Amino acid sequence: MGMPLSEAEQTVDDRPVRPELVQTGFNPALARRPIPETQPIPLDFPLDFVPSWTPRRIPIKCIGLTLPEGLEFQPPRQPAVQTTDGTQLAKIAPPKKLVEAPDRDSAKPPTRLRPPPDALSLQDRLFYLLQPPLESWLAGQELIMPFEPFSYQYEGIAWLFSSQAALLADEMGLGKTMQTITAIRLLLRSGQARRIVLICPKPLIPNWQREFRTWAEELPVVTVEGNGARRRMLWTMPGIPILIANYELMARDIAEIPDEEQPKFDLLVLDEAQRIKNRDSNTAQTARSIRRRRSWALTGTPIENRPDELSALFEFLEVIPKNSSPDIKQLSKLAKKFILRRTKDLVMKDMPPRIDRDAELELTDAQEAAYRIAEKEGVIQLNDLGDSITVQHVFELVLRLKQIANFDPLTGESAKLERLMADMEEISASGGKAILFSQWTKTIDWLEPRLRAFNPLVYHGGVPLKQREPILAKFKQDPNAHILLMSYGTGAVGLNLQFAGYVFLFDRWWNPAIEDQAVNRAHRIGVKNPVIVTRFISRNTIEEKIDRVLREKRELFEAVLGDGDNNNRSLSLTASEIFGLFELKARHRDGARAIGPKPVPPDSEAA
Amino acid sequence: MSGKTQNEHFRLGFLETIEVDGRGHIGGLLVTNQNGRPLEFQCTTPVRPNRTQEILFGETLRPWLLAELIGGTLLERVGIKPGLVITSDPHLLELRNHTTVPVALAEMSSSESPANESMRLKLGNSHLRFHHSHAADVGDLSSRRHLIPESANLQEPLERVREALAETVRTVFAR
Repeated sequence: MGMPLSEAEQTVDDRPVRPELVQTGFNPALARRPIPETQPIPLDFPLDFVPSWTPRRIPIKCIGLTLPEGLEFQPPRQPAVQTTDGTQLAKIAPPKKLVEAPDRDSAKPPTRLRPPPDALSLQDRLFYLLQPPLESWLAGQELIMPFEPFSYQYEGIAWLFSSQAALLADEMGLGKTMQTITAIRLLLRSGQARRIVLICPKPLIPNWQREFRTWAEELPVVTVEGNGARRRMLWTMPGIPILIANYELMARDIAEIPDEEQPKFDLLVLDEAQRIKNRDSNTAQTARSIRRRRSWALTGTPIENRPDELSALFEFLEVIPKNSSPDIKQLSKLAKKFILRRTKDLVMKDMPPRIDRDAELELTDAQEAAYRIAEKEGVIQLNDLGDSITVQHVFELVLRLKQIANFDPLTGESAKLERLMADMEEISASGGKAILFSQWTKTIDWLEPRLRAFNPLVYHGGVPLKQREPILAKFKQDPNAHILLMSYGTGAVGLNLQFAGYVFLFDRWWNPAIEDQAVNRAHRIGVKNPVIVTRFISRNTIEEKIDRVLREKRELFEAVLGDGDNNNRSLSLTASEIFGLFELKARHRDGARAIGPKPVPPDSEAA
Repeated sequence: MSGKTQNEHFRLGFLETIEVDGRGHIGGLLVTNQNGRPLEFQCTTPVRPNRTQEILFGETLRPWLLAELIGGTLLERVGIKPGLVITSDPHLLELRNHTTVPVALAEMSSSESPANESMRLKLGNSHLRFHHSHAADVGDLSSRRHLIPESANLQEPLERVREALAETVRTVFAR
């Protein structure tokens, strides 16, 4: 254990510590609060700092566009099926298979609508840019298409849709009708048009009605017909989206409607627009007088005889001043802007070919004798006429000789018929179908009983309109009906007969464009096999001479419609050329005037 | 399409923005019916953030500018209100936080990880991805999916909007 502390030790440890302050004078200073002094120091850069920044919404301006409401149509009513227990079942059509397009390319970009070059306002331009691609528009979501269009048809539809003035001049058989109907459908659906009138030759009205049912079954189509009061009501009654009328009624009815009641249309379509190629004709003047916002013209033959026929069409489209006559260069420039023309060669590279063959036949003995006598007498008569000779005199002789080349009226002998019978036996044996064209109804009526073995059907201007559709239906459906006898005038335009693999041109028309129109009834979209076209030409006759003249003239109009166009070198014979057939000279100043039968009036019989 | 009636409408909004050199961004909203037919289009004038906004917003600048500012304005201004807004820009998904309308990103194919599958929906032939904070949108849209045709390409209208914006820039703002 430890030792106890001594007293001295205890005293030292326990004594209280008492600090002793030395009086220096600093102590009060330490008790005071320090007072700092500040001094500004300049910065190298200005201070850019907002101490109280709060985000604020920036006002933004907007540009708006409301697109017009399109017309809504009732969906087509589906026929109901009555069952045994009385309930009604809606009939549902199986999905239709799309036609395999030979030129379809799955990687092809979709077809977009482009604003027309003359659309200047932003709203107008955005309207077109904001529309869906045609492929998706027509993909069956809103607009049911029975068959998918070909890519060139999509282009045509988009072009028409965006055009105020358009001349669709696709070669026959490429689907001008379908492209027009679809473009009309899109205009109505998008609110761009509410009232449309379509003018076509009378015999084509059933065709348009049928095509509208096929391609746009929801669209109400009204045909102008009936008595004058009813027709006037149809012309002037608002609320009819699509009106169809023929040229004759248009010319008659529009003239009778007073100015203040004249109808106004969003779109006027002229089918077979070559009907207004004579710009002074009543039909052309009336067509131009119809009030409308858009003008479309359809024709497979924008030039039948002379390039200035195009001027009449451009005047209708209102892209040239009245009565102006553009030269070839100007026409070519206008054509590039306002004409869309595609040929089968360009767009349907995989389409089965059209095989042309000229059947050059020797006349039978009876025909030969009759022909030579007629020719000899005819030329003598022409020479005897002297200066009083007119082109009509020559023309009558040509017709007489052509008729003998068809068949000898006395004996009924015909080299062409013999050849036709031989060909038809082969065609009918293989279940094929043929169309025969002639200039004369008389020839057709003469042929009918002689072709009875092949169950011929007759379709010409003498057949009443109401009977024509059933004839075409029978030709399509009846496997025993192997041949359809048609006149150029009635059968050359607007009909779809692509199931016929053979075409016979029993005699030749004056204008290759009309012949091509006829051939293209069979050689058109949907054709699966080659179409064989046989042209009958009697050797050493007027037919051979005419053929030679027409061939020599074939390349004249390429300058206007461009290269690759092999169908519009269409020229009728001029008066001097008709005289030249008999080595005669034209006696009159109108040597360059086109003569011949009047241009094929599709609704009347030719020659 | 079979269950669709005449009265059932499903408006779709297609929202895109583009940058205009030196002027900022402009945005466009196209409202279509369920078949892609255009009903209304609105586009903005160019919007450019200032330097302060660029610094302070940092990475959130584009979602704020494009979605909240441009997208929000367009959605307010449009007269025909869409039931779904579709875009191709992930930044614009942010718009969903400022509106009650579902907003979706259209993608060509569903290639994301399965973890995100719950935020996806196939509509037409496109895959849509929704905002991760709004999972209920997928369910809402599923109930209306039958109104959109199976063949509908929901990316295509966005291309139309971009073209319309480019045309607007060419026509108006380039003057």
